[in-house]
Amino acid sequence: MRLLYIAARAPYADDRAQELLDTLLVAASFGAQVSVLFQDDGVWQLLPGQNGAALGRKSLGAQLEALPLFEVDHIYTDAVSLAERGLAGNDQSSKDLLLPAQALDAPALAALLAGHDQVIRL
Amino acid sequence: MRFALLVTAAPDQEAAFQAWRFAEAALAQGHQVSRVFFAGAAVAHGNLLNTPARDETGLTRRWQTLQQAHELDLVICVAAALRRGVLDADNARSWEQPVANLADGFVISGLGQLAEAQLEADRLVTFPG
Repeated sequence: MRLLYIAARAPYADDRAQELLDTLLVAASFGAQVSVLFQDDGVWQLLPGQNGAALGRKSLGAQLEALPLFEVDHIYTDAVSLAERGLAGNDQSSKDLLLPAQALDAPALAALLAGHDQVIRL
Repeated sequence: MRFALLVTAAPDQEAAFQAWRFAEAALAQGHQVSRVFFAGAAVAHGNLLNTPARDETGLTRRWQTLQQAHELDLVICVAAALRRGVLDADNARSWEQPVANLADGFVISGLGQLAEAQLEADRLVTFPG
């Protein structure tokens, strides 16, 4: 089964970013094919050099960098969300993000959602 | 149709009430609700100390009634529950807390219960906060 998880929260605004990550890792360990889309303030989760200790939290970025080790390597961003926040994508030249992620425009996002059996947005 | 529900809205949020309405309506129409998984702020549904005003029916009680009528599987995410102070007797003992406060009809378990339910269901319906 193909599951699409949409990370839409800033990494340290509340527990949701961490809980989405925990949830999708368990689903992947159950054999589901997991994709992740970072959208809206969720794109902030992909900034490199995070230090959660300043907020008394674990660093989310370090955990996200391990996603490919769990065979979660279908990773996408919403190109509009990146542009609105002045972030460059990570296609080839730029290295603004801590994971290789494919930036998608609106039609590609629609196709991405249509191509999955379940969509979970937290 | 077999539904699995993922509720992350806190009990005071509209989405939490819609989750309960959805479950009640689906069951009334003869569908199955294989599991309701409460994660994030929704773990507060399982706190037996939730005390609504006398002329209101809180969601904890509403879910309990539905659970009794249909033997619903109401699962509270353990990591989120511990963090937010919802403990069953076993967890209270192992974390050396003085009291347990999990409401009857709910169980505390791990995210594997969500993965299992969503992979088996025809539809996963989410109720985010």
